[in-house]
Amino acid sequence: MTLGSTTIRGNLRPKMTKDEAAWVKQELAEQIDRYKKIVQEMEALTPQREKWVADFLHRIQTRGYHVHAGNRRVIPKNEIRPRDGRPLQVVY
Amino acid sequence: MARPHIEPFVDRDVAFKPLTLSGFKPGIRYKTLSIDKDTGACTMTIQYDAGFKQPPGFSYSEYEMLLMSGSLKVGDKVARKGAYFFVPAGCHLPAISTDEGAFALIFYNFGPPSFQESDRDHDDADRSKFKIINAYEDLDWLMTARRMPGVAPGCCVKALAFDEKTGASTFLYCMVPGFWQDNISYHDCAEEAYHIWGTSFMMQFGELPTGGYFWRPAYINHGCFKSDLGILAIGRTDGDLHNYFHHDPYSTPEENHERAAAAVARHKPALYKWILTHEHNHLPHDFEHPDDTYQATDYDSGIHMHDDGTSHSHAHGGAHSHLGGKKKNR
Repeated sequence: MTLGSTTIRGNLRPKMTKDEAAWVKQELAEQIDRYKKIVQEMEALTPQREKWVADFLHRIQTRGYHVHAGNRRVIPKNEIRPRDGRPLQVVY
Repeated sequence: MARPHIEPFVDRDVAFKPLTLSGFKPGIRYKTLSIDKDTGACTMTIQYDAGFKQPPGFSYSEYEMLLMSGSLKVGDKVARKGAYFFVPAGCHLPAISTDEGAFALIFYNFGPPSFQESDRDHDDADRSKFKIINAYEDLDWLMTARRMPGVAPGCCVKALAFDEKTGASTFLYCMVPGFWQDNISYHDCAEEAYHIWGTSFMMQFGELPTGGYFWRPAYINHGCFKSDLGILAIGRTDGDLHNYFHHDPYSTPEENHERAAAAVARHKPALYKWILTHEHNHLPHDFEHPDDTYQATDYDSGIHMHDDGTSHSHAHGGAHSHLGGKKKNR
């Protein structure tokens, strides 16, 4: 979805010129490479992330979970949803 | 229309390229941060080289720009770091130039970058939303959580642009040194942000330093958060930025989407019941916007990226009802 206003006409020339279409095609190809690199980097971070998650789950059961602004609540163990083998996917 | 999930990406890791699209003058270099596969709408960091000059002209697409360093002479005024431009489609700027060069972030909201030399606006331009302000000097930080539920103390915002129809917004935000927020968040809208200065941490993606960027489609988990030394950043959304907080690190965008809908039923029961009762499969009539239409089939959240560059959401493909049926098993 494109960001920005919908109260006015956001693009006065919606049909791209040949020059623009070629530029967009090239940029999209680079974006795909960028996306693949990100996925690889994020997969490599998985062991570290698992530790960060464990630390987070410990903190919210001891120091508290931010409910709103500075209001915190200590989460009882029975409110922690079991993982049940679910993957920790972060990029979609 | 969609952009894939790009998170995290640091623009310092790639080199500038010359912008050679027809219409643009030599002396602009750019790095694309994200781009819409259908419209060419994009977010870029750009470098105006010292000595750059451009005659009066307009862009066919609405755009926003934040000047992060250097200066730009715009007509007879000088814009310095912190200058924020909101330029509706077809609104012309006077001649611009820079002696020292300038570094900026630019958002082309509805189409690819374009420049048409002209000393007047396009016939269909709407100048009513045009503005140039200095976001660093002309606005105050909002010190309180602006949402219910709101972010933890120490994250402040300056509102730069707000679309009263869609709830889309552009804002500066900062985190004070030592900021931390122990919850996981997602939103109904896409969100993008760029770190002007400083490093923050998110549990899913690690540290995001100066020059760090993300484009995150709706319903994707992010957080918990912290920043040791603080940050200054700019963010944008394409709709109302409601914070759905929770503490399940493994929930999926589909589960988050469904949970958000359940929250609407709890938080706005009269509205939810009204929609169900009337079985609306079209946009309800809005006396302020009577000509608006909505095609659910056109919506592509961009949640899922494929190798060929296409993307799609994981939403249900057809209308269905759980009324009177068994509770859905998980």
